Amino acid sequence: MKKNKWLPYLFVAPYLIHFVVFVAFPVCFSLFLTFHKWNIISPVEFVGTANYSRMFNDRMFWKAILNTLKFLVIHIPLQLIFALALAEFLNQKIKLQGFYRAAFFLPVIVSGVVVTILWQQLLAFDSGIINRLLVNIGFGKVGWLVDPDIAMGSIAVMATWKNVGLYVILFLVGLQTVPPSYYEAAEIEGASHWQKFRHITLPLINPTIFMVVILSTIGGFSLFIEPYIMTGGGPLNSTLSSVLYIYKQAFQYYHMGYSATLGFFFALLILSVIIIQKKYIETND
Amino acid sequence: MSNKILLAFIVLIFFSCERSVSEQNGLLFWSSNNNREIEFAKEFTEKWNKEHPNQMVRLQPVPEGQSSEEVILAAVVGKTTPDIYANMWQGSVEMYAKAGVLIALDSLEGFTEFITERCGKETVKEITSSDGHIYQVPWKINPIMTIYNRTFLSKIGTTEVPLTYSEYLAAGEKVKEDSDNDGYIDKWLGYTSVKVIWYERFFNFYSLYIAASDGGSLVKNNKAAFNNEHAVNVFRFLQKLYINQYYSRERLSAAQDPFIAEKVMTKWTGPWEIEHSEKFKTREDFDFDFSPMHVPDDHTGPVYTYADPKNIVIFNTCENPQVAWNFIKTMINREGDKVFLETSGQLPRRQQLEKDSLFSDYFLKNPKVVKFAKQANYVKGVDNCEVIVEVFDIISQEYEACVIYNKKSPEKAIEDAARAVNVLLGNNES
Repeated sequence: MKKNKWLPYLFVAPYLIHFVVFVAFPVCFSLFLTFHKWNIISPVEFVGTANYSRMFNDRMFWKAILNTLKFLVIHIPLQLIFALALAEFLNQKIKLQGFYRAAFFLPVIVSGVVVTILWQQLLAFDSGIINRLLVNIGFGKVGWLVDPDIAMGSIAVMATWKNVGLYVILFLVGLQTVPPSYYEAAEIEGASHWQKFRHITLPLINPTIFMVVILSTIGGFSLFIEPYIMTGGGPLNSTLSSVLYIYKQAFQYYHMGYSATLGFFFALLILSVIIIQKKYIETND
Repeated sequence: MSNKILLAFIVLIFFSCERSVSEQNGLLFWSSNNNREIEFAKEFTEKWNKEHPNQMVRLQPVPEGQSSEEVILAAVVGKTTPDIYANMWQGSVEMYAKAGVLIALDSLEGFTEFITERCGKETVKEITSSDGHIYQVPWKINPIMTIYNRTFLSKIGTTEVPLTYSEYLAAGEKVKEDSDNDGYIDKWLGYTSVKVIWYERFFNFYSLYIAASDGGSLVKNNKAAFNNEHAVNVFRFLQKLYINQYYSRERLSAAQDPFIAEKVMTKWTGPWEIEHSEKFKTREDFDFDFSPMHVPDDHTGPVYTYADPKNIVIFNTCENPQVAWNFIKTMINREGDKVFLETSGQLPRRQQLEKDSLFSDYFLKNPKVVKFAKQANYVKGVDNCEVIVEVFDIISQEYEACVIYNKKSPEKAIEDAARAVNVLLGNNES
């Protein structure tokens, strides 16, 4: 009898322990920290809402949010268009289909740090291969990572290249769920390739599009490795992402209370954006 | 049955987290995980243990982590600090001292006299915390100087090393070159990191500021102390290097060292560059030497620089600090310093090192190190400020805007940095 009483708890224990240790406790502790000042080694000190008022007056944090939004505005459309175009291409009967699918997925499984360092070499101003190529064919050098107006765009392109493979796979799954009979019927009616894509494919893969937008948004908001390694947030803080700023506050300056406050606010911001996206992108058709 | 398994599991976890009793005997000494320093620490630990079988010291290189600073921080939080730690950056000490996790060493018998005799009064003053106590043993330094390529110098038709701002800028005009005629400079006067990260300022702004101000402070009496002509002049000098394209804005990562590749004539660096350059040089007659940091044209007297000091501390988890200090003393007395220099190639923070006959053999065999030993008489570490990392970070932000991108005048950049530091120190105080 006793055995029966404990056994179910034992089975769910791995999940519960994981949930308590890695989700519930950190979230509750972070919330607690938002009202405190703590540098890890000194005792925790209650500061009321000082961290929140500091956050609203912290121009650098708002700049970091704006930078992150700039990144999203470039990255999400790029990601969607390229992933969908590649998926449509790879969904056709082409030679070496398996090879192409694997090749586009390869950057996803390669370490982000490795990819970022490689791109840093490619985009370097004086010694980068891309600039050398541009000079050889008669163009000028571009400050891919050293020009404050261009750097975030360069990072967005790199991030798209790195992640597009995953979304190609998701779109491929979506495309393969569209019943072929719809296309056959449309062909009989004389629909063009574009019309079939616009009026059959797009509406039917809407749930996939929604998922890709949500995942890209969350992934984009978490932008960290690329600016951390490629630019350190520069030039002139033009690539300082919100997560990089939160990281700096926490692990460079040990402002644990303040960084927890920024983290909480940022999580709420992501949630709001996702709710808005859900309202405008997801359809029931 | 399942209850028993659960209980056994909990007991297993409990005991696996406990430090074993046998491990707790004696003092625990964490050295850095640099092979040569481990070798040095091992030699002295073994010697001590042989002579003091009742006061054993256990040596362990600092556990692996992303950085030794993170490992120490984790140890402090987890109360698993060693008794002695050798290799703490001077700027980190104040934070730990204020958190009350370090032993005030001036309370130990013979400490102050020993350190004053070894390092001099100026160093003792430099390492004294804001509360009047001393929490660190000055151990080793790597003064920052200018390395230059002699071949480059002769190519621009001189043997005179540029030492002042004007001389250096004039050399820049002669050195910069577009050797492949693609319209872009590919030979520069020098290179220094453009990364905004705080510690990169040690190798440009901070060393130059110390040189210009004869060892001036960044923070004094809990206020910014760098809003002065020295800092402004340093920013202006550095800004000109980029405006005139004598320096590249490239952010280097895994690319080849531009000094070794002979793309730049100079670099501000430490004594580690001697071995590095010898090891990676691409031709046998690669000829380099060192000169002091560049100074304003009207500068007189000896040229100071940043020392890059790493020190030894005793944590408050140590049950017998006096024994720990007695052990440390054996590593930093004249004999200890000699072995350290010979083993690691790094300079002990000992005054008039180059004049001490005990070290003369080493300097005869390593003539390039002599310049660093002489420079060691005119060095400065960092101010004892709990938030010194943030102070450097604020300066770095303004450095990027003014020096690298010419978006601000040097006066405005320094003024803005000083204002931000004062706000920070005000906040920090409250």
